[in-house]
Amino acid sequence: MKKELKLYPKYVSMSLRSSLSYKADSIIMIISFAVTEVISLATIYLIVGTVPSLGFWTFESLAFLFGFILIPKSIDHIFTDELWSLAYWAIRRGQLDVYLTRPINPLFQFVAKTFKFDGCGELIVGIVVCSIFGPQTGIAFTASGVIGLIICAFLGIFVFMGIKLLFASLAFWFQNVGIFLNTIYNLSNYAKYPIRHMGKAFAAILFYVVPFGLFLYYPIECLISGSNIWWAVLWSSIAAVVIMTLALFTWHRGIRRYESTGN
Amino acid sequence: MIELKNVEKHFKKPIRGKGVFGMLKTLFSNKHTVVKAVDGVSFTVEDGEAVGYIGANGAGKSTTIKMMSGILTPTNGEILIDGLHPYKSKERNAVLKTIGVVFGQKTQLWYDLPLTETYDLLRYIYDVSESDYKRRLGELVELLDMKSFLDAPVRTLSLGQRMRADLAAAMLHNPKTLFLDEPTIGLDVLVKRNLIEAINAIRNEYNTTLILTTHAMSDIELLCKRVIILDAGKVLYDGTLDEVKHMFGDKRDITVITKSPLDPALVESKFTVDRVTGENDGLLTTITIDASKIHAGEILNYLLTEFEVDDVKIAETGIEKVVEKIYEKNGLTIDGVKAEGESAAEAKDNERETGEAKDSGGQD
Repeated sequence: MKKELKLYPKYVSMSLRSSLSYKADSIIMIISFAVTEVISLATIYLIVGTVPSLGFWTFESLAFLFGFILIPKSIDHIFTDELWSLAYWAIRRGQLDVYLTRPINPLFQFVAKTFKFDGCGELIVGIVVCSIFGPQTGIAFTASGVIGLIICAFLGIFVFMGIKLLFASLAFWFQNVGIFLNTIYNLSNYAKYPIRHMGKAFAAILFYVVPFGLFLYYPIECLISGSNIWWAVLWSSIAAVVIMTLALFTWHRGIRRYESTGN
Repeated sequence: MIELKNVEKHFKKPIRGKGVFGMLKTLFSNKHTVVKAVDGVSFTVEDGEAVGYIGANGAGKSTTIKMMSGILTPTNGEILIDGLHPYKSKERNAVLKTIGVVFGQKTQLWYDLPLTETYDLLRYIYDVSESDYKRRLGELVELLDMKSFLDAPVRTLSLGQRMRADLAAAMLHNPKTLFLDEPTIGLDVLVKRNLIEAINAIRNEYNTTLILTTHAMSDIELLCKRVIILDAGKVLYDGTLDEVKHMFGDKRDITVITKSPLDPALVESKFTVDRVTGENDGLLTTITIDASKIHAGEILNYLLTEFEVDDVKIAETGIEKVVEKIYEKNGLTIDGVKAEGESAAEAKDNERETGEAKDSGGQD
């Protein structure tokens, strides 16, 4: 583990330098990710305008929720983007061979290979939106509330990471897992809306099955409705631990049945 | 020392139905055939030995190398490298530090960066001290003649350059054993020759144990005294290269196209050849010779001076021929081999049915 931590900066600098050989690409990606998110925020504005009542949710508080979600999501995007290739093609094309012949953790090598600087666009949008709309939500930000929120965002990074790793690892057993992972991952978009107004079944899925509701939506709901945010912290920690454990277990089982490709 | 004890590797292949319904059925059934890619392989390689591991495509060479280098876990049997299992998670790292691997079809180099960047990363991964790294890299650059492209991004390298670069990457941490899986694949004759010579130079310099897979006999002549021939996952032959050559001869097929018909008897009367066959009214002639008895050059010289030759092709006895001959020698005719192949297919059919009957729960 110590060795991996020492190696990580090395990987980041190599990944950054190799994306610098395609400078224009990186800039276009940063801008386009940011633009996508801004458009998505505009959509929320339009929707809120047409819905007569959303309980205690106003556009400002929804915008704050939107910005908050972007923070863990973009950080996960920056660090573990390579997991998408695991789901789509790395296993089928036998690309894990190289990592398995080196004396450090293969999962670490695989994930560390890509440091997706492009995700900074989303991260900046997230932080800017939060700081613009935060004060307008009417939430009384206490020290405990802010710390709770930061912990939830931090745990959120691991939930995103775990969900990606868990479903991508299924590629050791099945083909075309990529599309499946994409569907699951995109469920996180629904956490941007007032989940409780979407019907019981859907809310249950987002809280208990794919827990995007728990660590993305619930903390903000707690703050707005004045409930104790530490409940959200507790549930997010449970979600993070359960999902990361499942994901690592699946990866380890999978790597044992890895078949490489013939040549 | 590398020991393989009765190693087997099975791959489960689901039986796919035809059409959409077949696909849906595949999804919910556990029917599969078992392909034995490696089927009871045992051998020992001593320190410093160089072994050519050869066989036709699909014989199980790469699968064996992948099990020895920690990529695949054997289904049955045991692999020990200096007493440790490369595929067990607790022993992995200790074993992997002592081996280097090069795959002809895959690269471990960082695609968009200069070579030296990957080497520097490998230095940290393998804990090579700075002074050792500098000295060794210097030696390898010299041996493999890499100076001219050391600072070019990997994506701009030619295949031959990339192979040499990959070879250096695998040697940086001074591995005790080097596995080369078809390192000459796709290279032209001259580049191939240079690479083989470079591998030989490395071996002489560092006394590395070498295991090299290939399906071309010519690759290993310079490098390996010992060969292991593999067919259909089983060891067919394990012994010296000289013995193989002695047993089966070092044959060449010289094919010439001439403007006027060539009389086979004429060639047979002048030289000691194995066989001369004429086709196309004597315009296309194939002369099979034993290279240990006569040089191809002598015959070519004669043909070129005496006849008007349009085209020449010299082919070496392929591994397929050698495998065929080994079967023949063991009392099986080629037809016998084929018959055995068919019965293997039948056996698979049976497996398929029992698989259906048992509905052998769980994929793993």
